[in-house]
Amino acid sequence: MIQLHNVSLAYQKDATALNSITLRISKGEFVFLTGASGAGKTTLLRLLYGALAPSSGQVLIDGQNVSRMTSSQIPLLRRSIGVVFQDFKLLPNRTVFENVAITLEVLGWGRADIGKKVLHILKQMGIESKINLTPQRLSGGEQQRVALARALVNDPKILLADEPTGNLDDANKNQILSIFKDANVRGTTVVVATHDRRLIENSHKRLVTLSKGDIVEQVENQENGCKPA
Amino acid sequence: MNKWKTKKTVVNQPSKRPTLAGEGFLGRTRYYFNRALNNIRQNVFVNVVTIGTIALALLIVSLFLLVFVNMESAAENWSERVQVTVYFDHELSTQEQAAFRGKIGALPGVSQISYVSRDEALKRFKNRLRGQETLLEGVQPEILPTSLEITLKRSSRDTLSVEQFVTALKRMPGITEVQYGEEWVRRFNLFLNFMRLVGALLGAFLLVAVIFIVSNTIKLTIYARRDELEVMSLVGATKFFIKAPYLVEGIIQGGAGAVIAIALLFGLYELFLYNADSFLTFNPVTSGLLFLPVEYIGALLLAGVVLGFVGSLTSLKRFITI
Repeated sequence: MIQLHNVSLAYQKDATALNSITLRISKGEFVFLTGASGAGKTTLLRLLYGALAPSSGQVLIDGQNVSRMTSSQIPLLRRSIGVVFQDFKLLPNRTVFENVAITLEVLGWGRADIGKKVLHILKQMGIESKINLTPQRLSGGEQQRVALARALVNDPKILLADEPTGNLDDANKNQILSIFKDANVRGTTVVVATHDRRLIENSHKRLVTLSKGDIVEQVENQENGCKPA
Repeated sequence: MNKWKTKKTVVNQPSKRPTLAGEGFLGRTRYYFNRALNNIRQNVFVNVVTIGTIALALLIVSLFLLVFVNMESAAENWSERVQVTVYFDHELSTQEQAAFRGKIGALPGVSQISYVSRDEALKRFKNRLRGQETLLEGVQPEILPTSLEITLKRSSRDTLSVEQFVTALKRMPGITEVQYGEEWVRRFNLFLNFMRLVGALLGAFLLVAVIFIVSNTIKLTIYARRDELEVMSLVGATKFFIKAPYLVEGIIQGGAGAVIAIALLFGLYELFLYNADSFLTFNPVTSGLLFLPVEYIGALLLAGVVLGFVGSLTSLKRFITI
């Protein structure tokens, strides 16, 4: 599903963010990316949804070379990828419904279908009662669930999350984690970048550790016992 | 070769995609329009600022145009006085009149020729001395000359054309005395050219200032909403899909700004300028100012719409990075 071959990226000539990274994530996998700040987690995610192009190497999503896509093909790629962030990136002057509906409007869905689908996903997230509120009136956990609803409402093949629990308390963290797991069970490939060790330890999933732009450690699916790679 | 190959790649769409009620040209247009109206509703402050700025900017431009239009019409009236008069010491017979009319009419630039008989001349003289008619007691029409008054076409009222015309007149047999107030014509034309130059310079500065102010205001309002642009591009919106509602919004803002500017101008006109005192009046014939002609109002509306559209377009280019 996701393949990186010798991917390097340098923001400036002498400061490399990623050093010749090779990584393969299969369809339906759940992977944690971890590492200290500045290790390259966010950069790696940005490469996956086409916000950055690698300086060298190839990024393949579903067999297609992202680094060679034209700017008119990137939007089509992003329609099959949901992304969530630490700061949620919700639109403050739109309601919860409108924030989630954006994803489907972009796909050209009709109004009635959008209404049904959005209500459905908000019920799954347990925030259907907040449908007409604006994000400012929601708690942090609720806001992140709205962001997740926006990312998942069109059943994307891949869900990318960049420090999704960075602003949340423990109860909310567990709730968000269980939403990731549910999405993963339904077939979505999930990649979560975080430096929250507790989140990783509780979930027993594959772990990729980055440090200064290199992959320094890979722990395969922890559910079947820890197997350092 | 490679480029062609990559263009052929089609990214898989999410599988569950119901009937596309919002697609098709009409559906899309309606979506963009609704989105724009919603944006205006949800960003009232930003829109009030933008529309207000456009309205004020266009109001300044239209006030300038109002002054300019009135100056031009006054100049038109004044230039009616650029008149060439040919004097005769005897009353012309009808045949003589017709002959002169034919010859003079054949010269380029003539708009109108009228004959002033001795009686007519005396009547005008009396009119000028109204209140002191006693001065003219005993004056017989015979002491006054007869004349042909020639009005020139608008394009031939400049100093050089008038002089050429007079030279041609003087060459005609039977014409001895020609008067045209050369000093007045020269000064009037100098003044007119000066006014037009000042007008054009002021107008150009004003236009540049207005474009600068409006485009920067729009840029700031779009900058304030750059998160929206980012989110749209994150969920896979194409550039056009992101831009279209903002462009519609820009057109609405520009149009609304222009309408407000014209309404304000009309209000000012009705309140103060319609019956302006003579010190405000440029036109010696009528009192008060003229309102802008319909073409100018149409042009102002169009200018508003274009300002809004182009301002949004150039600002969006800067903030959409896919």
